[in-house]
Amino acid sequence: MIMSFLNPLKALLKGLAVVLKNALKPDVTLEYPEKKKPLNENFRGRIKYIKENCIKCGLCKKVCPVKTAIMIGDDFVIDYTKCIFCGSCTEFCPKNALIRTKEYELASKDKNNLIMKENINYGNN
Amino acid sequence: MNSVNTNIMEINIGPQHPSTHGVLRLKVTLEGEKILNIEPVIGYLHRGMEKMAENRNYIQYLPVVDRIDYLSGFFCSYAYVNAVELLMNIEIPIKAKYIRTLTMEMNRIMSHLLWLGCYLLDLGATSPLFYAFIEREKLMDILEDLTGARMMYNYYTFGGVKKDIPVDILKRIYDFAKHFPSSVKEYEDLISDNPIFTSRTMKTGILAKETAEQFSITGANLRASGAAKDLRKDSPYLIYNLLDFNIPVKQTGDSYCRYITRINEMKESNKIILQCLDRLLTDENDNEINLKLNPLSIKPEGEVISEVESSRGLMQCIISADGSSNPLRIKWRTPSFYAAQLLNTIAKNHLLPDLMAVFGSLDIIMPEVDR
Repeated sequence: MIMSFLNPLKALLKGLAVVLKNALKPDVTLEYPEKKKPLNENFRGRIKYIKENCIKCGLCKKVCPVKTAIMIGDDFVIDYTKCIFCGSCTEFCPKNALIRTKEYELASKDKNNLIMKENINYGNN
Repeated sequence: MNSVNTNIMEINIGPQHPSTHGVLRLKVTLEGEKILNIEPVIGYLHRGMEKMAENRNYIQYLPVVDRIDYLSGFFCSYAYVNAVELLMNIEIPIKAKYIRTLTMEMNRIMSHLLWLGCYLLDLGATSPLFYAFIEREKLMDILEDLTGARMMYNYYTFGGVKKDIPVDILKRIYDFAKHFPSSVKEYEDLISDNPIFTSRTMKTGILAKETAEQFSITGANLRASGAAKDLRKDSPYLIYNLLDFNIPVKQTGDSYCRYITRINEMKESNKIILQCLDRLLTDENDNEINLKLNPLSIKPEGEVISEVESSRGLMQCIISADGSSNPLRIKWRTPSFYAAQLLNTIAKNHLLPDLMAVFGSLDIIMPEVDR
């Protein structure tokens, strides 16, 4: 009879000991906007387009899982409202015209800020 | 007028409810607080994953499969990649097999840790979530540095893995794996004997072995009911036949057994991680991690079933290919879909507050149910 009271009490005290032990440990969280975690070069953030390197091979469009995120015509368009940041285009680009950046805070009040458009039509000369 | 029973009430839980872990709607028929019938309504998270495959080529579909089960994306990725490799009849390098096993077991621990935290949150305990997330965060940071993303890895490729694991990341995984058993001990001290937890989970939601087999339940839910069935032992894939690990089995099949089974599974996964690290850290001269195939030239033909023991059970990817650049048809068999059907059987005649205690213990994740 006494044990039916003592055993739960023992279990609760054991749990409390864990809590107390952890209360003395240093913080594991970061206060986000002020402090940020360092990212390494693999991080898949906003994609940077380098016009000089591009040879218009269209491989980035062929491997993109979202069919309309990359469009190549007179303009080279990357639509970040549709991009899922899978990293396939940067990985397959043969001339490093698309590279990964560490930029991840992409929220914007204007949708046009999330559509990267660069004219790549050099004319016929 | 006597035939109308005014005590019976039908209520609606979800689809937007914090404890349904996603968008699941439950139509519950109650008599007072007693549950008479539960009807799960699914489809709120349907994204057409199977149809999407038909108008994408093999490499375009690869980043998408991580989203089938976003808590353990490596398993979906492996099932798909392995299916294509089986169609092409190729054997991946041994180091890639070790890396795949290592990352998949890390993913299993991550998935179980999230389940542990959220399950205790369903039962009203807030603090275990933070303890579970401390360790989960370490694993996510490691995988972020390795693959570039925290959950949608896109790390496996046809014929191996995309990048080699650097030695410093291997050492970080080693530090984690050495420290992890003491963390599991903490969870057990905190939760296992807690009188509130035991009274809410013991003898609730009992799943008999026969019922589990009739409903095609796999994974920890089945093993908690007394059936020692695990694909990693029954038909070993990758390098599981070379590894030393046990399959945790419990007999009763109640919510508490499912909790104990998952806790023990995390310990076994940790053992596997240490064994993989032994090989990867000692043999540094082996640098072949993939076969360097051109993914755009993949045009296999035939039909194949690829299986993997995911963190929630048996996951299958069935591909039918006709020799073109797109698959003809892909079918996914996901374990949560079968577990969601169990609710009416095992939570019947329980009280309404016990419903979420039973539901949470099944480890159902909605994107996997709806695909």
